[in-house]
Amino acid sequence: MSSPTTWIGLRLRLPSTLSTAVALVAVLAAVGALFPAVGHTIGRLDVPTSVANLLGGADYGTVTGWFRSEIAVIYGPLVIAALAITGAASTTAGEEEDGILALVLAHPVRRAQLIAAKAAAIALVVVIVAAAVWLGLVVGVALAGGGIGLAHMTALAVQLAVFGFAAGALALAVAAGTGSKPLADGVAAAVVVLGWLVNSFAPLVGAIAWLKYLTLFYYYAGNDPLGRGFDPVGLSVLALVTLALTAVALVGIGRRDLRA
Amino acid sequence: MSGEPVIVTNGLSKDYGSGRGLFGLDLEIREGEIFGFLGPNGAGKSTTLRLLLDLIRPTSGSARILGLDSRQDGLAIRRAVGFLPGDLALYPKLTGRVVLDYLARLRGGVDPRVRDALVERFGVDLDRPIRQLSTGNRQKIGLVQAFMHEPELLILDEPIAGLDPLVQQSFHELLAEVSAERRTVLLSSHALSEVERVTHRLAILRRGRLVIVDSLDNLRQVALQRLEIEFVEPVAADEFRGLPGVKDVSVNGQTLTVGFEGSADPVVKAAAAHDVRAIRPREDDLEDIFLRYYREAPE
Repeated sequence: MSSPTTWIGLRLRLPSTLSTAVALVAVLAAVGALFPAVGHTIGRLDVPTSVANLLGGADYGTVTGWFRSEIAVIYGPLVIAALAITGAASTTAGEEEDGILALVLAHPVRRAQLIAAKAAAIALVVVIVAAAVWLGLVVGVALAGGGIGLAHMTALAVQLAVFGFAAGALALAVAAGTGSKPLADGVAAAVVVLGWLVNSFAPLVGAIAWLKYLTLFYYYAGNDPLGRGFDPVGLSVLALVTLALTAVALVGIGRRDLRA
Repeated sequence: MSGEPVIVTNGLSKDYGSGRGLFGLDLEIREGEIFGFLGPNGAGKSTTLRLLLDLIRPTSGSARILGLDSRQDGLAIRRAVGFLPGDLALYPKLTGRVVLDYLARLRGGVDPRVRDALVERFGVDLDRPIRQLSTGNRQKIGLVQAFMHEPELLILDEPIAGLDPLVQQSFHELLAEVSAERRTVLLSSHALSEVERVTHRLAILRRGRLVIVDSLDNLRQVALQRLEIEFVEPVAADEFRGLPGVKDVSVNGQTLTVGFEGSADPVVKAAAAHDVRAIRPREDDLEDIFLRYYREAPE
């Protein structure tokens, strides 16, 4: 791995990463502060099952359900996936399209080594955002009056980070294999959003309920990390997917011509 | 130049389809040479440079750089080569200093005295973000990164793009110093005056094929003779077009310019039929040579 490349990749993304992190902490604090005023009212709402599934299940009247619907199933994964996907695609295919990669790869660095270093930079971005979610949860839950243990908040942050790794690795694989940023952004974003929808709606229809097992989202949130804690199986699947897709990226970049 | 071969290509080809690419390039560039690579846009110059650096892979043929295979030994080759791409792109949000530090670290470090001397020589602004720099100032950073590790071989694609005349002069002096140190330069350009000024030998590419490789002196020997004849009254170009040896004729007011091979006798005798105010010889410049090779190259 090339540490100068990891450093420069992180430096380029630090402003957007830190502003996202600060915003997430602020939003979670605000969500927590809001719960004592509206939690019990919302808890009595009769929400259709499909909508409830989109929001991570029912139980909004509890602190766990409240935070699950706000951060665990919507903002958290979508924000972290967006940063991971756009970061991975722009640091590889984006730099290739801009012509920067041709200069960098004229230096004594192997293509796979360079891509691994860039992947590490994106992983650090994901870790920073996941850490912000954890911090925001700690603050938000305290302001909401408590109700979620530190272990479960940590479980959500860790599951979220590994989900971000997998989403970023998917964009990285497409970007490194094709050199096309729009394609990498599009494919990875489509997989994540479709996964979220499938995971929410497929369980409502018995015949296609199994489709949820094909989504990254299921292995992130299927076991409800805020309510039940770590999901070793889900973490393992996401980690394996990440490793496999990263391997595809490392091989893919080495097998083709660099675009002009 | 009689040094060891630094770049040797054998049938090097990259076929992009529809007649685009590079076809069967056989080339040898020797130690200490400043070698010009000339051709119009799309001739295959940049494709060749990218093949040498293993940024793209050949359809067929091979290249050896500094005795190493371009495909198998790419890492060792890139360690010894300084590269300036055409249409240089750098990280727009970062300053020149950060970019140069990064590229130096990719090389495992460079001698800061060499880098600082280059920065001073070209008057590089290192403290502003790249996006705030003019094309010429970005190009200066590109030159510094290409030269700062004192490479054995420099591969430069359109190096003077955007540079002002003073910096161009500095750059040409640097090339001469590099050549005196027995280091080698492969310089691609479509700016004919640039190649003419600094190279020992040059190759002309046309539609992906090598048209000629020779020294400038040899190329000049095959150049057309030209005469610029100023008449008292305007004359018709057609009167000179059919004369033996005449290749081209142009008329501008009372001045006729004629290019010819062999004896000047038919031209002078035809001119003597009119009142002549002055006759001036004109040297065929590289652009004339280049254009002629471009036009005459077989399909």
